[in-house]
Amino acid sequence: MIEFDVTTTADGIGVVVPRGRLNMVAARQLRETLTGLVEGGSTRIVVDLAETTFLDSSALGALVAGLKTARQSGGDLRIARPTESVMTVFRLTNLDTVLRPRDDVESAFDA
Amino acid sequence: MPESPVAVERIEAPVEPESLDLVQDRLESWLADHDGVSVTDRTRFEMALVEIVANVVEHAFALDADVRGRLLTVELRLTRELLEARLSDNGLPAALDLGAVTMPDEDATSGRGLALAVAAVDELTYDRVDGCNHWRLVCRRAAG
Repeated sequence: MIEFDVTTTADGIGVVVPRGRLNMVAARQLRETLTGLVEGGSTRIVVDLAETTFLDSSALGALVAGLKTARQSGGDLRIARPTESVMTVFRLTNLDTVLRPRDDVESAFDA
Repeated sequence: MPESPVAVERIEAPVEPESLDLVQDRLESWLADHDGVSVTDRTRFEMALVEIVANVVEHAFALDADVRGRLLTVELRLTRELLEARLSDNGLPAALDLGAVTMPDEDATSGRGLALAVAAVDELTYDRVDGCNHWRLVCRRAAG
């Protein structure tokens, strides 16, 4: 029910695009994907949520874990383009301040 | 007189992570037949239902319990006033106080599920009856 596109930009930024539902099953894959990127040297990561149709608390946990892992390695994790329903989950859990959504993937790491 | 339902749906599934997609698929196709439900109500109802199903999957059975004996039933009901889900499973009793559930700190990597469910719907109750766990979620539909 979910696919992850994982690419790395010319600037070395890892871009993860989950397509479909991020529920408990998919959250495990997301967590592994994010850890793999950091271990592979991509410590700056953008998770593009434009095609994520649903996101639950386990996916939030995976994003927070990815954020911590990236920061411990001197990088960061940012989210881009969440849909309105996905944004509701960030707001209800007060995570919209730590994972502030960016308008697009390209400028997610601009100042 | 209790309000007569517009639609009902019953889902039976084994208690395993893969059942989340099954429940979500069935919920989506059921709601697709009833286009009067607002996007906001659909979103918050689905959000809470998924968190409770995930909670049952994670906590209702010992890790070594035989998967064939783990059963979850979800009954969905739609009326003009509300969306309701009644879940029952034959797992272990849940030791929890829904009134005391709080959202964990921003850096927590787990523990948000029940708090999210409480925040998303208008009523969430848990009861242990006759050796089964019973959850009830109610989302009062937005006017119009």
